[in-house]
Amino acid sequence: MARIALLIWSLGPMLWQLYTSLRPTEALTGGLSAGPVWTLAHYQQLLQGDPPFFTYLLNSALVGVSSTALTLALAVPCAYGLSRIGRAASRSLSLAVAAAAAFPAVLLFLALLEVARDWHLANNLLALSLPYAGLCLPLAILLLQASFRDIPLELEEAAVMEGMGLWQRLRWVLLPLMTPAMASAALLIFIFCWNEYPIALTWLSRSDLLTLAPAMARIAGSSVFTIPYGAFAAATVLGSAPLILLMLLFQRQIISGLTQGAIKG
Amino acid sequence: MRWKLWLLMAPALLWLLAIFAAPMLHYAWLSTHAETVLTGLEPRPVGAQQWLRLWNDARFWQDTWQTLRFSAASVGLEMVLGLAIALLLHQPLRGRGTLRTISLLPWALPTTVMALGWRWIFNDPYGPINQLMQRVGLVSVPFLSNPAITWLAAVWADTWKTTPFVALLLLAGLQNIPADLYEATALEGAGPWQNLRRITLPLLTPYLLIALLFRLAQALGVFDLIQVLTGGGPAGSTESLALYAYLNAMRFLDFGYSATVMLGSFAVLLVVAAVVGLGLRRRVLR
Repeated sequence: MARIALLIWSLGPMLWQLYTSLRPTEALTGGLSAGPVWTLAHYQQLLQGDPPFFTYLLNSALVGVSSTALTLALAVPCAYGLSRIGRAASRSLSLAVAAAAAFPAVLLFLALLEVARDWHLANNLLALSLPYAGLCLPLAILLLQASFRDIPLELEEAAVMEGMGLWQRLRWVLLPLMTPAMASAALLIFIFCWNEYPIALTWLSRSDLLTLAPAMARIAGSSVFTIPYGAFAAATVLGSAPLILLMLLFQRQIISGLTQGAIKG
Repeated sequence: MRWKLWLLMAPALLWLLAIFAAPMLHYAWLSTHAETVLTGLEPRPVGAQQWLRLWNDARFWQDTWQTLRFSAASVGLEMVLGLAIALLLHQPLRGRGTLRTISLLPWALPTTVMALGWRWIFNDPYGPINQLMQRVGLVSVPFLSNPAITWLAAVWADTWKTTPFVALLLLAGLQNIPADLYEATALEGAGPWQNLRRITLPLLTPYLLIALLFRLAQALGVFDLIQVLTGGGPAGSTESLALYAYLNAMRFLDFGYSATVMLGSFAVLLVVAAVVGLGLRRRVLR
């Protein structure tokens, strides 16, 4: 019983969107229509829009990939240093990083907006990775640090005996062992960037450069007088589908990343 | 050797300072400057004037109250529901892995995407909830147009999205509790309720605390959901502190005061975290 309730609670709202997106508009508001019961018209409308809906998905994917790469490039060395620096320094730094992880990012948007204005970074998808990397760093550092700690020190000491320098040890001994943790971190960072709203809202204004989150908000605000809920629902379905796919494909990594990051950090 | 480690950490730590600390310092400066259309969007020093304005700003205090109300209700619900779901998923059931993944889906979806979805679900009279109400002979509920009800709709949508995160965290905590503890109390004839109170909850406390503090901080900064679901309405009844700060900057083009509101919201966040953190620590230590 409880299991069925959980299923309905979790999936119900999404299934309702799917159902709505396939119904003609008249059917949604209770009017009788002579037309067909099911329709793909809402999807056609979205895909033929200006810009077509896929643009937003591609923009989000681009921002997600570039931000993930930048975050990992910064977080991996930092996490390694943090795991080897000794107890006192590592504790206070980790605490500060954990506080940053909980910090509501929306409070930063005004200052970041001024950065975008002064340095001409607005309406540049790749530049959006700069703040995004900062926002994702805390979680990535906490997660990777925990995994570096799990690697036995003897392994690294053996590599030192072999005459390997710090860089060689990182590249050839430690990083191969870190692949699962880095995969988990990468997925969580990607999901965060895909979903981020306030910074994207203030950095992007050109409609062909919008990422998914601000595009959805713009779609929501664009039509005050009619109720194009079919089109809304089709947009939510198309906007959710890539992430649902990602979750189903990588459920193990995402779940282990979430729990590791929160518990060991 | 140590300096090499610091060198490795330096880029990320500087990045964090630039993204998190520098904005707050900049706000402190900007909150003592007027930067509006009237000043030609150039900062002009005004001293503590904007802080006085904040202190006397009824809208700021109303939004503080609304944000606290929203956070208390949604985080409270999330903790209770999250614990229930974690306990359910901890049972050795068939298809547990699949159920866990499915229950996590709401967490992964973009807030703005489902906020738009919820607007349709809460629609009066055509949304599914109200259709159901009418079919069983009840009146339909004006979820999004009645100031007394709308904030609860926002709580509902927020709980739906973030409970999975809490549940997953608590589930990890449950899996770390040694099973032989339960076997020991089983010999004493303890029931499930006693087990929950005497073993599960005490050992789960650190996880509950992490989830609580993290979720509280996020809920106090609620923005995406409110902006898309209600836009702060009806009659400003769901406006949150973050949305007020946003409106000051982007709609009223009053950047100096927006920075003041940001710092005010941050102060509220710190007070809540301190009160909750200290209060819980005292109870846990006792």
